[in-house]
Amino acid sequence: MSLRLKQLKLRAGAPSGIDHEFADGELTVVLGRHHSGKSALCRLIAGLDAAPAGSLFIDGIDISGLNARLRPVAMVFQAFVNYPNWTVEQNLASPLRARHRRRGRDTAHHQGRGNGGDAQAVARRVRMVAESLQIDLLLDRYPHELSGGQQQRVAIGRALAQDAAVLVLDEPLVNLDYKLREELEGQLRTLTRQTRQTVIYTSSDPLAAFALGDRVLLLKAGEYVQSGRPVDVYSRPVSLVAADLMSDPGVNLLFGPDHWLAVRPEHLSFKPPSADATAFPATIVERETNGSETFVHCRCQDENWVVRSIGVTDAVAGAAATLYADPANVMRFER
Amino acid sequence: MNTTMRARWYVYAYCLYLLVPLYWLVNMSLRTRGDITAGLEVVPLNPTLGNFAEIFTNPVWFTALGNSLSYVVINTIISILVAVPAAYVFSRYRFLGDRQLFFWLLTNRMAPPAVFLLPFFQLYSAIGLFDTPLAVALAHCLFTVPLAVWILEGFISNVPVEIDEMARIDGHSFVFFFFRLFLPMIRGGIGVTVFFCFMFSWVELLLARTLTGSAAKPIAVVMTRTISASGIDWGVLAAAGVLTVLPGLVVVWFVRRHLVKGFAMGRV
Repeated sequence: MSLRLKQLKLRAGAPSGIDHEFADGELTVVLGRHHSGKSALCRLIAGLDAAPAGSLFIDGIDISGLNARLRPVAMVFQAFVNYPNWTVEQNLASPLRARHRRRGRDTAHHQGRGNGGDAQAVARRVRMVAESLQIDLLLDRYPHELSGGQQQRVAIGRALAQDAAVLVLDEPLVNLDYKLREELEGQLRTLTRQTRQTVIYTSSDPLAAFALGDRVLLLKAGEYVQSGRPVDVYSRPVSLVAADLMSDPGVNLLFGPDHWLAVRPEHLSFKPPSADATAFPATIVERETNGSETFVHCRCQDENWVVRSIGVTDAVAGAAATLYADPANVMRFER
Repeated sequence: MNTTMRARWYVYAYCLYLLVPLYWLVNMSLRTRGDITAGLEVVPLNPTLGNFAEIFTNPVWFTALGNSLSYVVINTIISILVAVPAAYVFSRYRFLGDRQLFFWLLTNRMAPPAVFLLPFFQLYSAIGLFDTPLAVALAHCLFTVPLAVWILEGFISNVPVEIDEMARIDGHSFVFFFFRLFLPMIRGGIGVTVFFCFMFSWVELLLARTLTGSAAKPIAVVMTRTISASGIDWGVLAAAGVLTVLPGLVVVWFVRRHLVKGFAMGRV
């Protein structure tokens, strides 16, 4: 089901609201730095906070006033949140049992049916979710007996078990180490493709947008910046902010009298890529390499620049160098 | 002997030193009146349970013990019932004057109980509460409720607020969340709080004595009155002392693990 934001303000006093549609079955990566309003957006969608202004629609139905309990929205927090006194099995079954209890109250007086069938359905669903996240051998354990990665798997599993129309993941993998993050990221992509849920995944890492996102939505200081397919946003940023958010490390900048010039680190090279390449004279400051790629830090017209090149590049600190970029890759933004 | 070993022996020695009066109390409770006044006995030569028998057969002692226990239990129950929701609100919600209110609660603990003697006495006499266990329990609530709120607020703030939010997203009702998920999570804190309410009410003498006459007389009062009435029966008095210490020991035994956590959080 699609989720539409209509003139939604992330914080009181924001100059303008956000209009955006998260399409049915797509995964949107919401990209922004700290305090860009990513978490605020998640909490508004989940119904944990009331929106200062604007409204939310799921499939055209206004859910702005709907209690978080009743919203068809599941959520995973950045911190590993599980119920400490419940086993993994009980944690995973929690949203299902809550739903059955709600339904039971509504129908109890005109239906004398026992809920033996419900219990079986819950057990089946829990087992399925646990298997898909590889925590099916941990069902009898308590959260404090699990590693960080396993704890977050349980939290993700609980959100998946809910089978809500919208799944919100608020930087779920930030607290995990690099290897685990990559592994879980891959699994999340497969799982969310299978469930066909509308997924909102926040991150500050452009790589996550490329790795996971059908779409990307850029936020800055609680304001909408740009949205679209990751490759489109990458190649056609509407503003300097958009270009910078989709670049890691950030874009290299030059200040003109009435404009900015911005070049992504990966678009710079020490040899001219074409005959009409733009040249930037610079001084090399230092070099860091991880073998597969090298970051060379330079000074260019009193600005700190970074060049990202493939493999190990020789660069001597203090030496003068000329950096080249294809004119098509030199972005110009009016001030 | 290395330093850690020596330090350990100092601690043992200190504990032993602390236990001397307690041991002496037990020692006395196992001897007869004549024995005690006759001279020093480190280990009772003719140990007897007669003093304890006297307490459990004499209705004065027996009802006094019952009175004490009843107001202490009533006080603890009221304190927990009132303090758990209050502490939850203080921990989870921001409202106008919340910090001030929280601090004001604590200031109640700063006034000596004697200050409240006269108003309580007059009030209870006027409304017919005087000389009932409920009178003492309510008076003690003035001190135990702020204490309980303070301790519980620490334990509750230790539970991440995301758990509350998670329960809402999962679709649990607040009642279900609070009783089935939240209370079990802070049961250690509740145990510690029970201990402190219990101990305050159990050892408090001034209010308990003033607000009771003959019907609801607590055991500590009976002990002090024995001294002035029929001479002093040291053995029975010591036995009563031992019985007074026991409930505290029992409660400590149940909350000993959580007590350490409470101390570590600085709330106890």
